[in-house]
This record gives sequence, structure tokens and C-alpha cells, in this order.
Amino acid sequence: MNMIEFRNVSKVYEDNTAALRNINLTIKKGEFVFLVGPSGSGKTTFIKLLIKEISVTTGNIFIAGRNICNLKVSRIPQLRRNIGYIFQDFKLLPNKTVFENIAFALEVIGKPGYVIKVQVPQVLKLVGLFSKMNSFPHQLSGGEQQRVSIARAFVNRPPILLADEPTGNIDPVTSDGIMKLLSRINLIGTTVAMATHDRSIVNSMRRRVVELEEGEIIRDQKRGVYGV
Amino acid sequence: MIFRPKYFFGETFSNLKRNFLMFFTAITTVAITLFMVGFFLVIVYDIQGILGSIKSQVEVAVYLKDNITDELRVYLENEIKSWDEISEVKYISKEQALENFKGEYEGSDILKEIQGNPLPASFELRLESPEKVDLVALRFIDKDGNYIEGVDDVIYGQSYVQKLFSIVAIVGTIAFLIIAVLLLATVVLIFNTIRLSIHARRKEIEVMKLVGATNWFVRIPFLFEGFFEGFVGSLISVIFLFILSNYFLIKGERAVVDTMHIKDLAIVGSNNVILYIYLGLVAVGGLIGIISSAFALKRYLEV
Repeated sequence: MNMIEFRNVSKVYEDNTAALRNINLTIKKGEFVFLVGPSGSGKTTFIKLLIKEISVTTGNIFIAGRNICNLKVSRIPQLRRNIGYIFQDFKLLPNKTVFENIAFALEVIGKPGYVIKVQVPQVLKLVGLFSKMNSFPHQLSGGEQQRVSIARAFVNRPPILLADEPTGNIDPVTSDGIMKLLSRINLIGTTVAMATHDRSIVNSMRRRVVELEEGEIIRDQKRGVYGV
Repeated sequence: MIFRPKYFFGETFSNLKRNFLMFFTAITTVAITLFMVGFFLVIVYDIQGILGSIKSQVEVAVYLKDNITDELRVYLENEIKSWDEISEVKYISKEQALENFKGEYEGSDILKEIQGNPLPASFELRLESPEKVDLVALRFIDKDGNYIEGVDDVIYGQSYVQKLFSIVAIVGTIAFLIIAVLLLATVVLIFNTIRLSIHARRKEIEVMKLVGATNWFVRIPFLFEGFFEGFVGSLISVIFLFILSNYFLIKGERAVVDTMHIKDLAIVGSNNVILYIYLGLVAVGGLIGIISSAFALKRYLEV
């Protein structure tokens, strides 16, 4: 089953810079895909289109068979609840504890308190931060903060997880831990798409690699490496 | 969307605690600006009240000739009573005029000098519409420019009455303009303060939107906060106004009233209107808070 499908998708920004040109791509359920390419090649645009933070200029995007391009604005929250999103800069709220940061994602979608009390500790165990539940983000290392951000993205068990340079602000050793975590999440059936610059991660993981350059796909390789 | 008061109130008050400085700024802004608006309203209302009560005391004294017959006097009295501008006619006989005079100058040497009764009888007229005092005075003059039969003299404070009316009109207009400008400044200041406090939390809003919060879900705690800031701020301004008008203005006015011997003067706080001013300020405060939040949020919700 196709989880994500891009059909003839182009994105031109208001200042006439083309971020994506005529992209055709399918990602199957349970796949793990790296999006690689230099800065400005369209990786972030690719991810932002999927959560409708921005809209396509032409073409169509299907998620689980549904065209999201003609989605009403009022249905966007529903779309985003099915997609976990991990940011390079974590985007944790500094004045909330680890627990609250994750609980927040559940409160926002209307989950009742007793569900939150069960699910948040569960996901914190998964990312190995159960003991830091009551810490504030500034008391954690970069790697730990990114794990909180992953926990927040995954706590609702979305079928799709998107990551935009999740290891961009983290040292290599810690990055390995993050990748192991994403692999585990992928193993239980979650479709993962990750934009990255990190050559060594891509080379060691040996997953599908889609390379973008100036908004076009120049390579789509199963079990690929970063550069040819 | 499911409405969950516990979440929204909890969110509002934990934000209150965590963003204390921002709340403090917003609340003091509301308190100070609305205090200025309220202070002006009270002062203006007060001045209008004083001028109004002086206005209502405008009297016309019609002095009668000593040789007037009873028939003519009764005829005149009934005639005056039938005029629309008149609210009250009081006849003061020669004897009563002397009594009044004696009462006012009790113990004075003047009394010893009086022989017989030199004072005339008179009508004291109170007017329904004090602005028409000129018209009323003219009715006592015939087409040749003399007083009508039986009337010796008509007295009212011509120049002072006219001045008073133009002062009332000018004060009213200026006050209205000042209050309008102050109110506008208040709205702009409160709006900017609330916008700053929302701007400081744009990241939070962005994250909420990206994890799938609906616009209303994001909006409601901010609207609560806006209302709370406006409400508390205006309450503080009302408390200060209350203290100011009750302990300073009234005392000051009493002193003025006592030294000037003005009777029945309207005094601040002696009227429900002041209460309406207070209630109005609180309502305006809460409303400005909510509306400012709603408008300030608009651009941050477009994620």
C-alpha cells in the first residue's frame, strides 16, 4: 500500500524560486526513506508540503490514498494528527517539563487525562527518558531534547513520522542513539521519511535514499548510500 | 471540538504563573490607561453635575409695585403659571420679604435703620428650561419697552447666566474629545501589550498548530487571558478611582460648596451614574482584552 505519493508536484515560492520541480515518488507503508541533497535542494519543502504547512503550486499529494491538496483548512489539524514531525531545533516549549511537553501534544488533540497519564510514561520509556520526566528542556543535553521531541511526535502513534535533519544539532555518537530509536519506531510499522545531510548515518543504515538537487530527484536507490 | 474547561482554565492559570512579567505589564497598562479615562469621565460628569445644578437654580425675580391690586396680582400669577417655560411660581408678600430679610441679616446693624417696610412684594420664578430665561424676562415688557402693569422690575443674572450656558457647552465638547482620544490611546496601548505577550509565545502556538491543534483550541486560552488581563486591570483602575473620588474629590467639593454657599449642589458619588462609569470601565476592560487577543492572534494562527 502506498502511504505517500507525489504526482507531478511542483512548488514555486512567491519570490519565483522553484523549490520542487515535477516530483513523482511513492513511499510504501512501513518504508524508511532518506531525503538527501545539499541545502536548498528542496528537502524541507518536501516535508512541509506533507503536513500542509505550505501548499503545492501544481500536482497532487496523496497520503494513504487521500488527496491532501484539496483538503479544507478546517481538516488540516486532522491530517497533522496522523503525522509525527521531528524538527532540527526540537521546538520544545522551554517553560514546560518533559512530561508536559509530550502531554501537550495529546491535550491538543483532545485526549482525556487518564489516557495521557498512561501514554506519556510509556513513550518516555521507549525513548529512555522515563527518569527525566519532570526536568525542563534546558536541563537536558541536545540528544535528550531530541528524544523528547521524538517522543512527542510518536506518542499519538501516527502512521507517518517525518524528520527534518533530526541529527543536525547533535554530535555523532548521540546521533547513533537517535537513529536506533527511529529504526525501532520504523520496525513497528511506522513509515519514516528523514531529510538529512549526515553522510555517515545514511551510509551505515543502508535504507532507501532519494537524492534531490535543485528541486529534482536525481537518484532513488534501494539500500543506498549518501553519495555515489 | 470538545470543550474542556479544566484544560483551558488550567492552561490560562499556569500561563499566568509562568509569564508573570507579561501579565503584570498588560494588567498595569490596562489599569493605568483606564484609570485616566475613568478619571476624566468622573471629573467631567462632576463638572456637568455642578453646572447643571447651578443651571437649575436660575431664578427670575419679578418685583411688584406697592400699589398693585389683589385682582391684578392673582391675574398675573395665573398668567405666569400658564407659560410653558415656568416650573414654579412663588409669591412673596411684602411682610414675608421683610421676614426673610430679617432672617438673613439677624443681629446686623442694618435692621435698626429700617423703618416700616421698604421691601416690595415679588414673584420668584423657577424655570423649566433655564436657557429661555431671556424670553421669560421679555414677556414682562410691553411693546413700548416698559414693564407691564403692576410690575416694577424684573431681575435675573443676565450676563452670568449666558456665560454659564456657553461654558457648559464648551466643557462638554472638549471633554468628549479628550475622552475619545484617551479611549483610542487605551485601545492601542492594550492591543500592543497583548500582541507583545502573544508574540513572545509564537513558538508555542506554532508547535500547537503543527501537532494538530485546531485554531479554536489555540485561541481559547489566549482569549481567557486577554479577558482576565482586561478585567483585573480595569478592576484595579476602578478601585483607585473609587478611593480618589470618595476621599479627595468629595471632600474638596464639600469645602468649595460650604465656602460658596451654593445650596443643593450635586456632589460626586452622590449619584448612580458614577456606579455606571465604574461598571462601564470594567466591561470595556474585559472586552478590549478579548478583542485585542483575538486580533493579535490572527497572524500567528496561519501556520
